Amino acid sequence: MIEFRQVTKRYDSDHTALRQVNFGLERGELAFLTGHSGAGKSTLLKLIMVMERPSAGEVVVGGQVLNRLPRRQVPYIRRHIGVVFQNHQLLFDRSVFDNVAMPLEVMGVPARDIGRRVRAALDKVGLLSKEKMNPLQLSGGEQQRVGIARAVVNKPPVLLADEPTGNLDPQLSADIMGLFAEFSQVGVTVLIASHDIALINNLGRRTLMLDQGRLVSSGGGGHD
Amino acid sequence: MTESPNRRKEPPRARDARSRGARTTRSALRQQASSYFSHHRKVARDSAHRLWQAPFATLMTWTVMGVALALPVALMLLLASLQGVSSGWESSARITAYLAEGVTLEQAEILQQNLDSDSRVAEVELIDRDTALDEFRSSSGLQDELDYLDDNPLPHTLLVTPGQSSRTANGVQTLVALIERMDGVDQVQVDLGWLQRLNAMTQLLSRAAWALAILLSAAVVLVIGNTVRLSIENRREEILVAKLVGGTDAFVRRPFLYTGAWFGLGGGLVAWVLLQASLWWLSGPVERLAGLYRSDFTLSGLSPGATLALIIAAMLLGWLGAWVAVKRHLDDIDPGEIAGG
Repeated sequence: MIEFRQVTKRYDSDHTALRQVNFGLERGELAFLTGHSGAGKSTLLKLIMVMERPSAGEVVVGGQVLNRLPRRQVPYIRRHIGVVFQNHQLLFDRSVFDNVAMPLEVMGVPARDIGRRVRAALDKVGLLSKEKMNPLQLSGGEQQRVGIARAVVNKPPVLLADEPTGNLDPQLSADIMGLFAEFSQVGVTVLIASHDIALINNLGRRTLMLDQGRLVSSGGGGHD
Repeated sequence: MTESPNRRKEPPRARDARSRGARTTRSALRQQASSYFSHHRKVARDSAHRLWQAPFATLMTWTVMGVALALPVALMLLLASLQGVSSGWESSARITAYLAEGVTLEQAEILQQNLDSDSRVAEVELIDRDTALDEFRSSSGLQDELDYLDDNPLPHTLLVTPGQSSRTANGVQTLVALIERMDGVDQVQVDLGWLQRLNAMTQLLSRAAWALAILLSAAVVLVIGNTVRLSIENRREEILVAKLVGGTDAFVRRPFLYTGAWFGLGGGLVAWVLLQASLWWLSGPVERLAGLYRSDFTLSGLSPGATLALIIAAMLLGWLGAWVAVKRHLDDIDPGEIAGG
């Protein structure tokens, strides 16, 4: 579902964020992406989101090579990729429901289907009762779950998460990870960037480790 | 149609599935279109609502736009009224030909007939010298003084009304030249001078009005552009998220373009109100002035069609202003900045 072939990303002549990274993720696979801050985790996620383009090599998502994708096609790729951020990027000028509905509105889903699908996503993360509230009224863990609901509401085949448990206590973190595991069980490819080594080790999943832009380990039966 | 024989051979279930498939694509298309329009409605409503929520700022923008639009339109209305005056006058222009002193009444009648047979002439009236003197006597009040004259000093006179085809400044002038060349004609008078001056002046004014219209339209575009730029800044987060979840450029642009169009609608309405108010305010004095000149000159207002055109033009200008701002600033907002290094 996601494949990196000899991907290098250079920002300036002296700053290389990724060096010849190779790996592949199957449909329904859940993997962690780890490494020190500045190791290239965010750059790797940005390449999948087509926020950045590789300097060399190929990024393939869902069989499509992203390097040559014209700019106006980018939104359509993003509709197939759900993203969860550490600071969740919720909008505080609208309700929880409207936040979660955004990806569907962008896709032009009819209003009556939006209601049904948003409630299904909120139910999945256990926040169905809070759809009318403002995200500001929710706790940090709840806000993160709203962010997850928004990321999965249009059932994307790929789910990316950038430090999704960064601000949460261990119990909440475990709950969130449990949610991600459920998504991978229904066929979603999940890639979670995190530096929470303890949590990662507990779950015993495949882990891609970056060090200064190099993929130093892609353990757990990867492609390379 | 060519498919139908094949289809009959298929097992019923497959046929069912296929026709259901066809139905869903068709209804999916219709659904797509209907959700597209309902999204447009929603965005239009939402951007109008946002303007409503900041009434003071919105009203200011509308007023600025209204004043900028009302000025050139007022000038154009004035011009249209002036052109009405000059065209009215052209149709009633008459040429006065004073005949030479030695010309007899019979010769004058022949001249009249000659002129009358010309296709460019509608009517020729002959005023013989005696009638002219009587008229002069009664209208000038110089009755007693004229009695002292031994002789009638006035010549015979022909009053020529140009035909329909010659009722233009050029046509009248050709006719004047023709009459001047005729034997026995001493002097030809036509008061085209002030008409030409008025025409030249309205032409100058109309250029000035257009220049003003273009300049002020540019100002309107810039004002709306700047206002929309601010609203883009205010909604930065929302734009980021929309781009992040796969919003196309058109989707992200749409609310701002509607905002621009609503600014335009309000500005157009304000311009209309300003125009109607000043027309009402000026109509009394204009009527008095026209009365003094024995003219039926009136300031014409905006016709319903012109009002509609004004409002549509204003909306287009607003839309254009928003488009300029959106083009300049939306690309700067890139979701890449959400995720840190």
